[in-house]
Amino acid sequence: MSPSEALQRDIRAARPIATRELRERVRALAAQEPARQPFLARFAWRRLVLVAPATVVVALVAAGVIGLTRDDVSRNGDRSASAGASTVENGLQRQPSTLDQDAAESSAAPSQGAPFATPVQPNAAIAPDPGRVQRYAAELQVRVENLEALSRATQRAQRIAASLGGNVSSLSYNAPRGGIGSANIVLRIPIGRVQTAMTQLSQLGTILGQRFGVEDLQPAVDDLSTQVEQAQRRIARSTRQLRNTSLLAEERAVLRSRLATERARLGELRAGLSATRAEGRFATVSLTLTTEEVDAVVPAGQESKLDGIKDVLVWEGVVALYALVVAGPILLLGVLLWLALRLRRRQQETRLLEQS
Amino acid sequence: MTIPARRQPTRSASFAATAEEHLDDVYAYLVYLTRDRSLAEDLAAETFEKALKLWRRFDPGRASARTWLCQIARTTALDWFRAEARRRRREEGAATSDRFNQAFAEGLSPDLEAALASLSAGEREVIALRVLLELDGEEAARVLGLSPTAVSTRLSRALKKLEERVGAHVTV
Repeated sequence: MSPSEALQRDIRAARPIATRELRERVRALAAQEPARQPFLARFAWRRLVLVAPATVVVALVAAGVIGLTRDDVSRNGDRSASAGASTVENGLQRQPSTLDQDAAESSAAPSQGAPFATPVQPNAAIAPDPGRVQRYAAELQVRVENLEALSRATQRAQRIAASLGGNVSSLSYNAPRGGIGSANIVLRIPIGRVQTAMTQLSQLGTILGQRFGVEDLQPAVDDLSTQVEQAQRRIARSTRQLRNTSLLAEERAVLRSRLATERARLGELRAGLSATRAEGRFATVSLTLTTEEVDAVVPAGQESKLDGIKDVLVWEGVVALYALVVAGPILLLGVLLWLALRLRRRQQETRLLEQS
Repeated sequence: MTIPARRQPTRSASFAATAEEHLDDVYAYLVYLTRDRSLAEDLAAETFEKALKLWRRFDPGRASARTWLCQIARTTALDWFRAEARRRRREEGAATSDRFNQAFAEGLSPDLEAALASLSAGEREVIALRVLLELDGEEAARVLGLSPTAVSTRLSRALKKLEERVGAHVTV
């Protein structure tokens, strides 16, 4: 056994033992074990290691949820905004659209001439409400294989309209030899059969885009009906007053003039009511047939959702980067200060223990 | 040096049981650190008072109860040393306390006692932790806030110094 080992053995053998008094003091102290403290008092900073990844996961999930739902929310918002607008035209109040559906996203609208996305599923048309007078408009863009198919599809579209009790409102056909052919056909289809028409028209080729719009005309019809009834009552009253033989010649002239005005007004109202009702009986379907090849891209709905997620993630990244840029130097200084203070404290402790 | 297997403390143990189990360790450590048994008693009581307040935050996954208690004991003793240093500076020239006249423990040879007393507190505490309490290198390093290598170096130097001084006492 070396001298050092012998010393260690001696030190262990003469180990100080706590006195009975100290033991009693500590026992009395231990008897006062407190109740559990609040969460924050127990929070350990190293648990941040667990919290941080969880925060990242939550941020990603939130981005996903917001990105997936934001598209719907904004669309609903657009609907609300459009529902709040109204215009007055020719003395007849036109009610705004109650629902507007763009099945292929606005970027794919035929009128904008942008290439359409991957073929859209057919039969996504919204159904008109048979209990109300509505103005129904639909746009459909369909790709056909070649010029021959374009010709066949154009004829078939006319037959479909006729078979459903509708007609062709306008038609333009362009088929240059060796070039890109197209046909624009505006069909008037009885509103009760518009869904059937859309289904049959969508089978003419590959659907590239479709758009629907429904404008509720029922309030305008109700308003016109009320005005007609009021005009009729005023005419009846004027007629009764004219039967009175005691009227002066001047009074009679005024009443006749008023009666003539009311009758003219009634005629206008009836014509307007009839036209509005007629407008609600037929839907306008704008069919565009084209032979143009379209590159397949990500489906529009999916693309917009992915864009939503991407946008939210980008914003989260921007905020995190901003926070890092602002707080980074402060944090770095804080860490350096903490390290310096720790080193100083260690040195002081060492000196203190060397002197004691 | 043979180190006994560490007992893994469980969080389910009550504070009273933990205090009872490690009271002697804490006390012995403080005796070696302060060279004053009555002061060590006061500091031990203060240590357990602090430990009781911090008990709910004790995490056995980070350190054993003994290591944790020794850390608190060390902080308590350092606070006392600082206060004592300030007091000494204030009362410069006044007579120093005779608190160091007591023996470390019953059973130590006078030579070893004197040699231990001649070491600095820093040297004595590493002996207390590694030899007396038989903490392993990592546990002692955690208590002292040093690396295990630094602890090992400090222990070697302290033991060598102790050996030399015991030898010197015997020779004289």
